[in-house]
Amino acid sequence: MNAPLDLHDLHVHFPGRGGAPIRAVDGVSLSIAPGETLGLVGESGCGKSTLANAVVGLLPPTSGSVRVLGTELVGASRATLRAMRARVQMVFQDPVTSLNPRMTVGEAIGEPLLVRNLFRGAALRTEVARLLEEVGLRPSQAGNYPHQFSGGQRQRVVIARALALRPALLICDEPVSALDVSVRAQVLNLLVELQAQHGMANLFVSHDLAVVRHVADRVAVMYLGRLVELAPRDALFATPRHPYTRALLAAVPEPDPVVQRAKPHVPLTGEIPSPAAPPPGCRFHTRCPLAIARCRSEVPAWRMIGETGVACHVAY
Amino acid sequence: MTAPALTVENLSLSISGANIVDGVSFAVAPGEVLALVGESGCGKSLTASAVMRLLPDAIRQTGGRIRLGSDDITDWPERRLRDLRGQRMSMIFQEPQAALDPLARVGAQIAESLRLPRASARPRVLRMLEDVGISDPARRIDQYPFELSGGMCQRVMIATALIARPIVLLADEPTTALDVTIQAQILDLLRRLAVERQTAVLLITHDMGVVADIADRVAVMYAGRIAETGPTEAVFARPGHPYTALLLASIPRLSDEPKSKLAVIDGRVPAPAEFGPGCRFAERCPLADARCRAETPPLLPVAGNRLAACFHAGRVA
Repeated sequence: MNAPLDLHDLHVHFPGRGGAPIRAVDGVSLSIAPGETLGLVGESGCGKSTLANAVVGLLPPTSGSVRVLGTELVGASRATLRAMRARVQMVFQDPVTSLNPRMTVGEAIGEPLLVRNLFRGAALRTEVARLLEEVGLRPSQAGNYPHQFSGGQRQRVVIARALALRPALLICDEPVSALDVSVRAQVLNLLVELQAQHGMANLFVSHDLAVVRHVADRVAVMYLGRLVELAPRDALFATPRHPYTRALLAAVPEPDPVVQRAKPHVPLTGEIPSPAAPPPGCRFHTRCPLAIARCRSEVPAWRMIGETGVACHVAY
Repeated sequence: MTAPALTVENLSLSISGANIVDGVSFAVAPGEVLALVGESGCGKSLTASAVMRLLPDAIRQTGGRIRLGSDDITDWPERRLRDLRGQRMSMIFQEPQAALDPLARVGAQIAESLRLPRASARPRVLRMLEDVGISDPARRIDQYPFELSGGMCQRVMIATALIARPIVLLADEPTTALDVTIQAQILDLLRRLAVERQTAVLLITHDMGVVADIADRVAVMYAGRIAETGPTEAVFARPGHPYTALLLASIPRLSDEPKSKLAVIDGRVPAPAEFGPGCRFAERCPLADARCRAETPPLLPVAGNRLAACFHAGRVA
């Protein structure tokens, strides 16, 4: 069976000031199996959202391959893209800007079904009611406008709209980052539940490692446009291989003062370099506590250590 | 205990008749970090604005006193307050790029609260830049904010806030806009500076991880009231208010079972117009009974040197 998502050597570059392109995504390969959640983590500017946007077709890839269920999307015809877009749906960070304030939530959820001539009239209303129930809202709320809902409820509406076409791949870009802590748990529970029911593949983009650990089966870590590590969840959190992954894990403040204060405080020094002028060799070498001479000149090749893929000369 | 640097007594704020901050009291000692934690709309940022005497026009203070050291500044005129801000009491914000003047060089902004001639201010600014961990201060001092990263801008803002050696620093979500690796650096910096300079820090945050990292004490706010307050370790180890307990249980942790069901707080925070006579958490609380809906629970001592505003504090698990 064809994977819901298969990326090969994906590049997404933007024109930068002074000629040098900004290499936001610079050669990423990964795939997601049916029913699997791949967590994609990294700090701002690492390219994780650019990658998500390129997969749904909101940004044109510069080169490489994006296959959804075996169909190549890079350079595909409009008809192919239109057909495939029904199979890939996206949930964004901010539910407020994701919904049209002048459309009732019922209209918003029904829109993809109407556009694709799948349902109309009473059948459409029934389907919208079913979707609302599925995400924990009342069918009677279909006639309400987004402003009548709380942030968490609006994100439920966005999720219902994304589920309407029964996608094979759901892309969630920081879906709970704009929500309050108590509401975050509700939406995370919902996403985990829905995926178990529908068995769709999920690309879950987040900067929050604890959230990613909660939902993901495998986790990919990005730094400055490249993957630095990709591993099954438990392997990644138990034995992180890449020094950047280790630093990220050490930096997460745990909501437990005893654990948090016992943690060795070795904050990563320095800042993320600009993706317009990434450092040569390993892009992390300017901040890496383990960097050796080779790291400054030679790009580390992707290699496997057990189940873990890692791009590092030093990792073992 | 040493005399508090900042004391807030029974602060109440209202907007068109609704009591959005209701009887909030706390004190922060020199060198101590007190975290005011809660979700959006709980009144934590308004409390900070009231402390700075910078409340928006629509909001009225209906009661309470603010003391800085031994000075009651509640009724001070704006002219006197202006001399205070940046001198004895400073504030840093969530978006450092937005808080800094884009047209002024970093050095000039930091020097402003020194009120010294430029030449004599410069060495002190350089020392301050070094103290907040900015490398190559001699070059950075003449740069503009757009030339610096978010983390560096936050360091500049901290330098600006602390150079006049205030006794109180208000930090409103100081690391929320920053990446985790940078957040860890800034939190370490705040902690170190608070202790070294004996500055009292009032930290406003929604992030329990940040609280666990640097706060000596914590006050948990819900719908305009303090639900619970006490030493950070005691509150996290055994919450005395059901809201704190549920909030802590709803956060995914690195030690949880993945994909397990997270605890959920049903319903939503009441709007100010819906505040009833009782506990404001009652509608969402698994322990609530008739008394909770009728009477406001006072903040009372519970085990472990803490205060909790709950009639059922002894039953919180």
